[in-house]
Amino acid sequence: MAAAAAELALMKPINPISKSRKGGTLRPHSSQLRVLASSQSGATAAATATATAPKKKKSGKTEINETLLTPRFYTTDFDEMEQLFNTKINKKLNQAEFEALLNEFKTDYNQTHFVRNPEFKEAADKMQGPLRKIFVEFLERSCTAEFSGFLLYKELGRRLKKTNPVVAEIFSLMSRDEARHAGFLNKGLSDFNLALDLGFLTKARKYTFFKPKFIFYATYLSEKIGYWRYITIYRHLKANPEFQLYPIFKYFENWCQDENRHGDFFSALLKAQPQFLNDWKAKLWSRFFCLSVYVTMYLNDCQRTAFYEGLGLDTKEFDMHVIIETNRTTARIFPAVLDVENPEFKRKLDRMVEINEKLAAIGESQDIPVVKNLKRIPLIAGLVSELVAAYLMPPVESGSVDFADFEPQIVY
Amino acid sequence: MVAPATLTLGPRAGFPPNQAKVPSFDRRPSFPLPPNCSHLNASSSRGSIPRLREKLYFPPLPTVRAVAVDSDQLGSSEPAQVEKPRRYYFVVANAKFMLDEEEHFKELLYERCRNFGERNREQDFWLVIEPKFLDKFPGITKRLNRPAVALVSTDEPWMTFMKLRLDRVLADNFEADNLEEALAYNSVNLNFEKPEKWTAPYPKYEFGWWEPFLPPGSSKSSS
Repeated sequence: MAAAAAELALMKPINPISKSRKGGTLRPHSSQLRVLASSQSGATAAATATATAPKKKKSGKTEINETLLTPRFYTTDFDEMEQLFNTKINKKLNQAEFEALLNEFKTDYNQTHFVRNPEFKEAADKMQGPLRKIFVEFLERSCTAEFSGFLLYKELGRRLKKTNPVVAEIFSLMSRDEARHAGFLNKGLSDFNLALDLGFLTKARKYTFFKPKFIFYATYLSEKIGYWRYITIYRHLKANPEFQLYPIFKYFENWCQDENRHGDFFSALLKAQPQFLNDWKAKLWSRFFCLSVYVTMYLNDCQRTAFYEGLGLDTKEFDMHVIIETNRTTARIFPAVLDVENPEFKRKLDRMVEINEKLAAIGESQDIPVVKNLKRIPLIAGLVSELVAAYLMPPVESGSVDFADFEPQIVY
Repeated sequence: MVAPATLTLGPRAGFPPNQAKVPSFDRRPSFPLPPNCSHLNASSSRGSIPRLREKLYFPPLPTVRAVAVDSDQLGSSEPAQVEKPRRYYFVVANAKFMLDEEEHFKELLYERCRNFGERNREQDFWLVIEPKFLDKFPGITKRLNRPAVALVSTDEPWMTFMKLRLDRVLADNFEADNLEEALAYNSVNLNFEKPEKWTAPYPKYEFGWWEPFLPPGSSKSSS
């Protein structure tokens, strides 16, 4: 699972601020990150200190963290998973596709890809001030997201071993990729004299429960949107190398091929369970998950425009490109997707950003909690109505041509 | 340091991956190609190759190199040996889809090319513009916009994966006596109209990126 992709606010995309507070989710910079031994330059020490200093609970503004929608950790109904992929119960499973995928994962295209060099530390030392902080946040969120994929896939690999060894092994190999990605990002944090305590994260984070079919929709989108984010950043920086602030982006081209393949695997899982693709409920859920994922990314990224601008990208243009491409990709498997190319869709997203900014402002104001909540009510109502309106926009019928009843005369 | 070392992985983690591939590769005789037909060499004579090499080629791990499967295979398939007919798998769609629109397709082919280079594996996949074998598949041609482009390979599982990835392609297979026959094509000019609005924050992949994957000996791809 790539970077921000896993930041799905799936069930409650509405109010990140109140959620992160109420849920008591960890504040990364205060508890998950630890400072590595010593820091050499004064400036480094200062920046590190701001990033890790224990936060006073009451202090309203903490620059980057207050409105943070931290990447989620998922768990699922493993017994149901075992049932779904039991080859004895489920005779329709297309084992050929799974075996082909297993072959691809065994090939391990990136076995020797994630090797660091001295450029990393040099680039990190050059980065100071707000940019440095934003990079730390980027590394930390990305690492958490990859690590959450590692935990979920690892457990699925373990649990499915008996009922479907091929699917189980694919999950294990995907967890290999995620671990590699998370490890590489965590090494990146060490350039900033920080490290994410993954053992602590495993125990302390809250896990969001999803039924298997929701795991399929959510992780499919998460992997594919991760691919589109990474490849877009990579290709943009290749064309505009003056914005190459930190060498990790040079690794994105090969890296995101892993994400894309992970997505293909969920595509195959969904094809093997046509009941998740072929009825009206599947269409409604597909649209719901598309909307959740796109909106969450858009709101998240619009809160961090400094990062994208630092890379020479226009945040909204970048996001719309990623959304449109992810949606086109997703249309090859989901039975319905959103009409994101309709300009009205972007207008709705932009209005949500405005509302979200107002909500954030209330969160940071000095009002007492009751007043804050009262002020939030009309805004949340506005956000909900935008979301509902976006959800109800006429969808685009879609799906794999392997079930091409949506367009029987398709010409290739 | 390699990242995975920092985390505990499944037992698969350190497994030299191509061992698993060797058996399937071994079963089939590899076909004789002129020595310069391995993809990296073949490419080096063309414009886009130095870049490809620079960008995608990583020195192989010593352990991987030590497997040395390919050289054995080469030894066993001396050109003198009589070629047996073999099965070729393909996915096909119109040229614009394959070469212009699906940019991840280019990434996959370059990635595979890099991987084959690292593991000293002989190329077993090609892109064929307007392949002649299509004449044998009227069921496919009547649903196909022209010019068409096929991805052809002897690796059946990989082609199953490619069908899953590309989705909007037609798949089938055929038997041919030799590579030349399998990859025969009709010359055609490719010309893709510029996209009306290109909103991506990066340029498109260059026209002709597919040239390293055309059948051995084919001249430049039209245009």
